[in-house]
Amino acid sequence: MRNGARAVKWGVPIVAVAVVAGVAVAGPVIAAVQGDPSLPERTAQELLADAARTWQSGTVRPMSGTIVETASLGLPSLPNMGGGASPFSLLAGSHQAKVWYGGPERMRLMLPGEMSESDLVVNGDQVWWWDSAANTATRVKGGPAAGRPDASPFPSAITPQQAAEEALKAAGGNTRITVGKDATVAGRAAYEVVLTPTDGGSLIKDVRLAIDGETFIPLRVQVYAKGTAEPAFEVGFDTVTFSPPAPENFTFTPPPGAKVEEAAVPSFTRLPHGKDEHEADAPRVVGEGWDRVLVASVPKGFGQDPAGTTGKTTGETTAETTGKEKSWRDSADGAASLADGLLKSATPVSGEWGSGRLIRTKLVTVLLTDDGRLVAGAVTPEVLYAAAGQK
Amino acid sequence: MATERAGAVPDRGPGRLRAAARLLGAEAALTFRRPRHLAMLGVLAVVPILIGVAVRLVAGDGVTESIVAQVAGNGLVLTFAAFFVMLPLILPLAVSVVAGDAVAGEASQGTLRYLLTAPAGRGRLLALKYANVLLFCLAACTLVAVSALVAGLVLFPSGPVTLLSGTTVPFAEGLLRAGVAVLYASAGMAALGALALLFSTLTENPIGAISATVVLVVVSEVLVAIPQLSALRPFLLTSWWNAFDGVLRAPMDTGRMGTGLLVFAGYIVISGSLAWARFTSRDVTS
Amino acid sequence: MSPATKAGAPSAAPPPPTDENVTGIVTDRATESTGESTAENAIVTTGLTKRFRGGQVAVDDLDLVVPRGAVFGFLGPNGSGKTTTIRMLLGLVTPTSGACSVLGEPIPAGISRALPRVGALVEGPAFYPYLTGEANLRRFDAADPRSDPRTVRRRVGEALDRVGLGAAAGKRYRAYSLGMRHRLAIAATLLGPRDLLVLDEPTNGLDPQGTREVRALIKEVAADGTTVFVSSHLLSEVEQMCTHVGVMRTGRLVAQAPITELRAGTAPAIRVETPDAGEAVAVLAGLGLAGAVHADGVATAALGDAAPERICAALVREGVAVRGFAVVRPSLEDVYVRLTGEGFDVES
Repeated sequence: MRNGARAVKWGVPIVAVAVVAGVAVAGPVIAAVQGDPSLPERTAQELLADAARTWQSGTVRPMSGTIVETASLGLPSLPNMGGGASPFSLLAGSHQAKVWYGGPERMRLMLPGEMSESDLVVNGDQVWWWDSAANTATRVKGGPAAGRPDASPFPSAITPQQAAEEALKAAGGNTRITVGKDATVAGRAAYEVVLTPTDGGSLIKDVRLAIDGETFIPLRVQVYAKGTAEPAFEVGFDTVTFSPPAPENFTFTPPPGAKVEEAAVPSFTRLPHGKDEHEADAPRVVGEGWDRVLVASVPKGFGQDPAGTTGKTTGETTAETTGKEKSWRDSADGAASLADGLLKSATPVSGEWGSGRLIRTKLVTVLLTDDGRLVAGAVTPEVLYAAAGQK
Repeated sequence: MATERAGAVPDRGPGRLRAAARLLGAEAALTFRRPRHLAMLGVLAVVPILIGVAVRLVAGDGVTESIVAQVAGNGLVLTFAAFFVMLPLILPLAVSVVAGDAVAGEASQGTLRYLLTAPAGRGRLLALKYANVLLFCLAACTLVAVSALVAGLVLFPSGPVTLLSGTTVPFAEGLLRAGVAVLYASAGMAALGALALLFSTLTENPIGAISATVVLVVVSEVLVAIPQLSALRPFLLTSWWNAFDGVLRAPMDTGRMGTGLLVFAGYIVISGSLAWARFTSRDVTS
Repeated sequence: MSPATKAGAPSAAPPPPTDENVTGIVTDRATESTGESTAENAIVTTGLTKRFRGGQVAVDDLDLVVPRGAVFGFLGPNGSGKTTTIRMLLGLVTPTSGACSVLGEPIPAGISRALPRVGALVEGPAFYPYLTGEANLRRFDAADPRSDPRTVRRRVGEALDRVGLGAAAGKRYRAYSLGMRHRLAIAATLLGPRDLLVLDEPTNGLDPQGTREVRALIKEVAADGTTVFVSSHLLSEVEQMCTHVGVMRTGRLVAQAPITELRAGTAPAIRVETPDAGEAVAVLAGLGLAGAVHADGVATAALGDAAPERICAALVREGVAVRGFAVVRPSLEDVYVRLTGEGFDVES
């Protein structure tokens, strides 16, 4: 009797744990119970056509949502990569961003950090990049189109739309496109388009693109490297609402006391070296389809003295770059520490093309030649050697 | 005699509530009059002032970056800066001391047996002990905010507040947002308090309960900082405390703060029920 | 329901309860309306057993009955299970088996109804060192949901005055001497009108004067009709004030009786030193004295109602050479030592 009462008593916390665990996993469980959604059958071509039509016609419905980006590229550990505001921190771990989309000319992307925030606000021809940590508002010239990063073999896109476009662009003719099982993303039923490279040199097993069943907006992109079960890179909506966001989201006025600067393209898409110094050696893309690689000249002193070469990304005079002002939040420093970490994991290689050091990750391979070039792509080292061979 | 007593205060209805309020009052008086706790509250009040003075000194050197500049630009921001600095360790330390001591302290002192034979009622005593911990959390967070606000307004100019999103809001709204931050921080501390109270029911040694809580906080902070263990993050209390910075965004980041509150509630429900099961069934032999 | 249950009505000190009170009480419980304030036994335990986690049996199958109005001395050496019993009575420790009731309420289920009418001192005083004596009492009073906050000032004052701490009420507990701490603990048991006081070793560590004061206080409280359950490892501490005694030994109750009965078991005997022991026994038996025996030149017999001087005269008259003659009255202490001492097999 008495022992019974005691058992009942301990039943209360057990129930409490069960309830809390239930709430915590309710979403996935409900999704699992409901099973995969089933949308009307569509072929890959139909889907891509629908999607492309939606994007190109500019009839994407106004929406807002939270995007989660997860990268497990197998990079060396990157402590203190500069909080959420630095684009380089996106290369490892999981990150959140929020988007508000009011139309092709009205959008806002927010990267929250701890007690800091970066915002890209596009409103007509006004494009602002706000970095609260640096207390700097950068006015980007050239309209929203200039804000889009150029095609590159790296998964540098931020929003699912951009990423989907990237993937489709990169696919070219060397891709098998199939429709996978329907998926649920951010609580919405979505088609899944699977892009499988047919080029042997690619490190990518496949790219899975989840397209909303109703609006044909890409909700998620997953990049699987060969031989892995978990995506090496994933960006997708965690929550999404298809209703017009509040207009305040698209108005930005630099707050009093902030530094106001102007730039041609947002600084966060640029490489550590300044554009003016290295105009002649601008990076170029070699190859086609999935085997495309980037060939660039290595910034002088790269890997030897990162601190000395990390010029300001915003075009300030170097006289200001005193040691004290070099805050860890500076994205250029983030790149430098990333480079340092990578160089430590590099192995010396040589061949007909010359000699250099090779850095391998799950998804990306980078070759630094001894004659000062950087060759990189989501490909096997052999493809890089070939690219390095053709000067 | 007994009949007379029973007639004086009914044991149901409003009389019962009044009696609970009376015990809570006694608990609070004990907490807020205890020299050790007063010293702790003093430290909580001084830290924001020190932060303000430090910012003032640094700001003189012409640094225009980051939160420092924002504090220098507006005294109200010192409130948020104070929480940013104190929420990871200093506030949890204070809450651990009070909540970890709540039951174990009485047990080690021997007063627990007299409270129970009064009779305070075990479930009732535990509930009121936790209510007292809630009061302390709220008081500690409010104290930090008020101290920071006063120091901020004395040391720096006031006026419209620039949020992290770059948006500027009137001073009154900034004050309101500071209030929300106080409530959110208190909720986060209340979750830790529930955990500390659980530890407090498991031992008769208050130092043990307090250090167990503090060690847990420190270990959580370390786990949060390890990128390879990022999968653990959503389940750790410490990763949600700094979500108070959602009040500094435009629009206010209610999503993340709401999730944080849910996590806090989960911790409170589990710790609370475990503490209840333990405390109402254990033998009091001290 | 009956007028006798009204407050303060049974204020006259009850007659010393007799054996009937102890054994055959539970009869007219059904006629009572509440079963609360009028239950005739203040404490009843049946088969109360506590086995601690290590397997050690602290209290073993305890059947204790404390009649209302009694001053019950709960005796036994240290470690005999007295404090564990008291902790079970107060709901601090859950019994492994068996049941107990206090003031007619089952424990622990009826704690909230029973304990407000019980003042308890368990294992010495324990208070908040940084609070004054008065603040300490207020603190504990606040913990009782049935105490009246409007009268707390008066009740605390009265309790402090009663133990002679009125002057030290505003001093911090930290500064109290050992005797003052003890008195404060007793004051805490007197915060309200109590039907039962449970005092665990109330004189432990007190000087002789403090012990006398505590004894006087208990007698005073008992005179108001309050049942007092007082534990001690020394019979002499409580002998003078108890109406009933229970004796514990290694977790078992080895004796439980009104003190008069216990004394009866130690009735005076006649002791005759004589070389003619056999004749002496015959004479004693002839006088009607019970239990006359002789050994080693000493004849003994229970004295009973007989007058010693007549016995002595009769012995002499019958030619018994009386070398020594005495009326022997063994002390309660002897009985206690016999009950709790080593090598004594007890049946209870």
